[in-house]
Amino acid sequence: MNLDTYKKKSPWILHYNCGSCNGCDIEILAALAPKYDLERFGILNNGNPKQADIFLVTGALTYRSRARLIELYKQIPEPKVVVALGSCTCTGGVFRDMYNVENGIDSFIPVDVYIPGCAASPELIIDGIIKAIDILEAKTNEKEKVKKDFT
Amino acid sequence: MPKKSINIPIGSQHISLLEPVRFKFTTENEKIVGIDWDVGFVHRGIEKACTQKFEYKQVGYVVARVCGLCAITHSLAYTYAIEQLLGLELNKKIQYLRVLMLELDRIHSHMLCLSHTVENAGFEAMFMKIMNDREAIMQLQEAISGNRIQFDYISVGGVNRDIDKAIEKQILKEVQILDHKIDDLIEAFETNWSLSLKFKGIGVLSKEDAYIYNAMGPLARATGARIDTRLESNVMPHKEVGYETILFEGGDIYARNMVRLYEIKNSIQMVQNIIQGLPEGEIQLKVKGKPKGEALIRLEAPRGEIFYYVRADGGNMLRRVRIKTPTYSQVPTFIKIFKGANYADAPAILASFDPCMSCTAK
Ligand code: SF4
Repeated sequence: MNLDTYKKKSPWILHYNCGSCNGCDIEILAALAPKYDLERFGILNNGNPKQADIFLVTGALTYRSRARLIELYKQIPEPKVVVALGSCTCTGGVFRDMYNVENGIDSFIPVDVYIPGCAASPELIIDGIIKAIDILEAKTNEKEKVKKDFT
Repeated sequence: MPKKSINIPIGSQHISLLEPVRFKFTTENEKIVGIDWDVGFVHRGIEKACTQKFEYKQVGYVVARVCGLCAITHSLAYTYAIEQLLGLELNKKIQYLRVLMLELDRIHSHMLCLSHTVENAGFEAMFMKIMNDREAIMQLQEAISGNRIQFDYISVGGVNRDIDKAIEKQILKEVQILDHKIDDLIEAFETNWSLSLKFKGIGVLSKEDAYIYNAMGPLARATGARIDTRLESNVMPHKEVGYETILFEGGDIYARNMVRLYEIKNSIQMVQNIIQGLPEGEIQLKVKGKPKGEALIRLEAPRGEIFYYVRADGGNMLRRVRIKTPTYSQVPTFIKIFKGANYADAPAILASFDPCMSCTAK
């Protein structure tokens, strides 16, 4: 069975909070709830990295979350897209240079989509996820192409 | 044969956890006999930054980022502490607008907690319904302050935005609609059979233990203990706008839900009273001088008492900011309730505490 064909129609999300104030996490919930209804794109919030396609990270990276963030990233199968949600995930935001904070996550894992805002509004989250789906599709196609060339 | 116990870890990343926290449950058969937890994953070092990176006028906006759910309570508690040091007398209008935002915040926070509790009882549709009703409050908050989560509404000596007639009308209309929806919810929580199966007699805390283990917020009021900072402190004019203490007996998840539901109703009442009797006045007072001395402030956040200690010595930078949040103070209570409960009930019990790790770890 070719799983990749179905992947782009139903991207599953893995959400990890690596040191946020909860604000952006609540906005993700609000975006999944009926008013904004992110789930209409086939998206499911899922706790298992092995089944995820989109890695949704919130919060400034703290020292103790660092190893876990990288571990989770490694466990997600290719192709994967990383979305940094909220100002403090992109750059450190208000927490920048506090003693327990490593600033943005992009110094540890590659980031595909940056969503700014403190807190990022549900509209922006939807925009970002749509971008992420496009990137996921492009990455999947690239992988398919390589496969075709060698078979 | 000696009894064997099994360790079950949850976290730090888990689907039912919004925030990183790690539990280690020790169980014998189905019963939880021991629990160990680690909350430090989101520690950022805010207290230190408040005294070294930011000036006192900025700190109000920084401490709001301790927690996105009770952002308003954090910035309020800090601002009242600074105002106490500066000797500012606030007018009625500023005080009323602040209570208005605080109570709106309480409504949406309680609704979020309720939606989590029903989700853990297996009611996905009801979770979605409560989240949808909650959007009305989020919209009101956006109309008043300009933002949905981090309001940045409170400033030293006042508030940053005034409300006009159109917003007042919108608030009255929306809370009226919400009031009826809460009535329906109360009926559902009281009569739905599976909800009572999952909630009645589960996670019980007795009234004596509530005092011994220092429970606060809805957790304490669900046991019948009369613990509420709004009763004791006169920092905010809650009593003028129609505050009532909501008490229930039983101390189980059901009673906690009921306390939250009736507190939402009480908050709606207060919001209506404030809008109907909003006095005229300035929304920003002149701030003169620098803070000097020590101040202690206690306010009632949605989860219980929030405590701020501020020390300043007349400069732009503060000497010390100490934050004590409700979840942090209640960890002993949580452990007491967990011991002896069934492991299968653990997620529902946890959701009924409404814990906030960003607050705890700062
Ligand atoms: S961007 Fe702002 S609202 Fe979002 S998690 Fe960071 S501090 Fe909180």
